[in-house]
Amino acid sequence: MTAKEAKKANFAEAFKELEGIVQWFEASEVDLEEGLKKFERGLELARKCRSRLAEVENKVAEIKEKFSDYADGGEAPPEDEDEGQPRLI
Amino acid sequence: MPEPKALSVSQFVDALNIVFADKVFPDGVTIEAEVAEYRVSQGKWIWFLLKDENAVVSCFATAWQLRQPLEDGMKVRVHGLPKIYAKSGKFSVTVERVEMVGEGALKRAFELMRKKLEADGLFAPERKRPIPRFPERVGLIASTESAAYSDFLRILGNRWGGVKIAAAHVQVQGKDAVRDIVGAFAYFNAHPELAEVIVLTRGGGALEDLHAFNSEEVARAVFASKVPVVVGVGHERDETLADYVADVRASTPSNAAERLTPDRRDVARELESCVQTMERALEKEIASRAHRLTDLEHQLQAHVRAARAEFDAVMSDLERCLLGFESRVRTLSGAVERDERLLRSFDPAAVLRRGYAIVRDKDGKVLRAAASVDTGAAIAVQLAEGTLDAEVTARR
Repeated sequence: MTAKEAKKANFAEAFKELEGIVQWFEASEVDLEEGLKKFERGLELARKCRSRLAEVENKVAEIKEKFSDYADGGEAPPEDEDEGQPRLI
Repeated sequence: MPEPKALSVSQFVDALNIVFADKVFPDGVTIEAEVAEYRVSQGKWIWFLLKDENAVVSCFATAWQLRQPLEDGMKVRVHGLPKIYAKSGKFSVTVERVEMVGEGALKRAFELMRKKLEADGLFAPERKRPIPRFPERVGLIASTESAAYSDFLRILGNRWGGVKIAAAHVQVQGKDAVRDIVGAFAYFNAHPELAEVIVLTRGGGALEDLHAFNSEEVARAVFASKVPVVVGVGHERDETLADYVADVRASTPSNAAERLTPDRRDVARELESCVQTMERALEKEIASRAHRLTDLEHQLQAHVRAARAEFDAVMSDLERCLLGFESRVRTLSGAVERDERLLRSFDPAAVLRRGYAIVRDKDGKVLRAAASVDTGAAIAVQLAEGTLDAEVTARR
């Protein structure tokens, strides 16, 4: 994984952590010392996330495969079709 | 003309079957007619008749091959191989494929398949899985030549960036569509590193064109996919069975992009609001601390004031005591002066100064009577200034 990919992979985590911090701020009596620490961390995460938002391009790679080759492997057909023949119709 | 050689029944049936397969219908047969007496035995064998005003032919299929449930009266086109079954001597068409003929049959087929899949639990809301909130790797199953494909990518690009899209180009209608789509699902499930979510999409079309998306095979492929699936097929109002099975159902290809990722503007706003919430919480805490501090200050001031008042009270008491003491001292010193004056008036020295004298015998004892000393005795006469030593010469 390149550094850039690592940064990207961390977006969801960073966002989740940030939301956790915000919840902490919303939920409880804020301890000032702890709050300042968390606030600082929150700002850092927000900054990280914002830089990810600046990424505008999506990369498309077409898969060169014949997908119908992958289609098999479902249920097997019944072995003997004659079994199904009614005695009388 | 010689009589033909006698054949065994097996030989006769085999010969007919060979003729049907090789000479008469080398590409199989396609018959368009109405379905009658449709029935399924043991959940495996399907029997029905194809009929018109004048003729009837029997059809046979395995449930594995003919997934689409049929109904009497449905108009269908059957592709298959005509065959005489050796064991029963019965002639029937072994069905390879059934197509619905006309909108009515298509709608009915759709409805029958919907009921079948619903009964099998494919649409159950409790099996719908969430898709990642910020997907980074997306498997896209679509025709890369379609407007749906470019719409999806365009809207996705407007909303979000940095996504790696692995595009699986498939036929979305026609006879290869089902196999292609089912295969693409199998491919992505075999390559989990490519996709954490799969998007299946195509543009709108007639019910007939959407056949693959209403097929049991595709529905089951969506259902069986270990990777969660977003399906966006057709226009707003189109619905397909693949839609119902999807973990996330989108109304169009563009909507699939909208359901797949958030919009970066919304996320930017959310980030902003996160920061604001933190700031507000901190400010509130700081304000409440300042308030507590002011309270403490006020309490402290009140304490100081109380102590001061107590001190003042003690001081004024003290002052009052001092004042009382002073006046008492004054009174007492007046009395002392008076007594001193009185005392002074009794001072023998003052009497002496007026000319009196004090006479003492030799022992220092004051003499008050002449008879108390003998003639010739030595006496001392104390005057105001000095003392005379004398001798008694006579007593009178």
